[in-house]
Amino acid sequence: MIEVHVIDVPEFRPMVETQRGKPDVTITGPVKGYWTITAPVELIFSRKAMKMKPAVWYGIFTGGLNGEIAAWGRDEVRVIGTNRPL
Amino acid sequence: MTDSLEKRDDASSATNFNDAMGVGDGSLTGTRHAVTDGIQLALNGVDHTARPTWKLNETIEFYRDILGLPLVHAISARGWGPPGHHDFLHFFFDAGKGATIAFFYYIGSKQPARYVPEEHHFYFATHTAWAVDTEEQLIQWKETLEARGIKISPYTKHEILESIYFTDPNGYPVEITRRLRETELIDEVDARLTIQAAMEVESECREAGELMPDIDMVWRRKAKLVDAYKGAA
Repeated sequence: MIEVHVIDVPEFRPMVETQRGKPDVTITGPVKGYWTITAPVELIFSRKAMKMKPAVWYGIFTGGLNGEIAAWGRDEVRVIGTNRPL
Repeated sequence: MTDSLEKRDDASSATNFNDAMGVGDGSLTGTRHAVTDGIQLALNGVDHTARPTWKLNETIEFYRDILGLPLVHAISARGWGPPGHHDFLHFFFDAGKGATIAFFYYIGSKQPARYVPEEHHFYFATHTAWAVDTEEQLIQWKETLEARGIKISPYTKHEILESIYFTDPNGYPVEITRRLRETELIDEVDARLTIQAAMEVESECREAGELMPDIDMVWRRKAKLVDAYKGAA
């Protein structure tokens, strides 16, 4: 299970908004200032869909990521589950 | 404790450079944390930042005549304090709200190679960022300075700041920035958890004799800390 925590502030909120309605994606929160996005197999974030500037894009997992970045690009990141220790 | 410096040591009591400038050894062994004495020390913004220059004319022209910052104070003095101190000029430009940017010009010295600015992010990490209040002001700074012939970076939107960058004739980086929003309580909470995660990972990597491999390792630890934070009462 992948888990991404998103700080409930304007610059990161598009991460939550663009995941809404996607199959297999569950969104909870905000709880004490954090949204949490979970998915069983993979999560894909699109920079353009989020209208995110590069300086924010490169820090999108600063809220916390229980998962493995399988592919990282300028415009898309794909996260998969991991067994690596937190 | 008294509230006067009158009978306290002044700079003439120091016998070497490290004592005169309060240079410590970098170790925190034997130090005490603020919570142990309960004294909340307070700061009231920036008075000045300072750096050396070996280009007096260009520095004055750039800050006073091109940027238009008032030259508000200048010290010219014989070298004093530590042995070998050059005679010097120390001059200050007004940067708003009581803050100044200052330079030292050491008479009769040549710039050592290690003080020549490098085109590297390690070097650019040390910089001055001046505040403007509005988007209009940020645009005005960029477009006005470009019209005055200065090379200015594109706009960079960080999380809570939007900035432009340029360098002075010495090669020193300067940033002009505006706050995109006020920070909230969650920003402080999040900063604490991010730094806690990074400190833990740094300690563990040090113990293993390794460098931190990537930020992902911090992000994974952060996930654990945020889980615990959310679950805590």
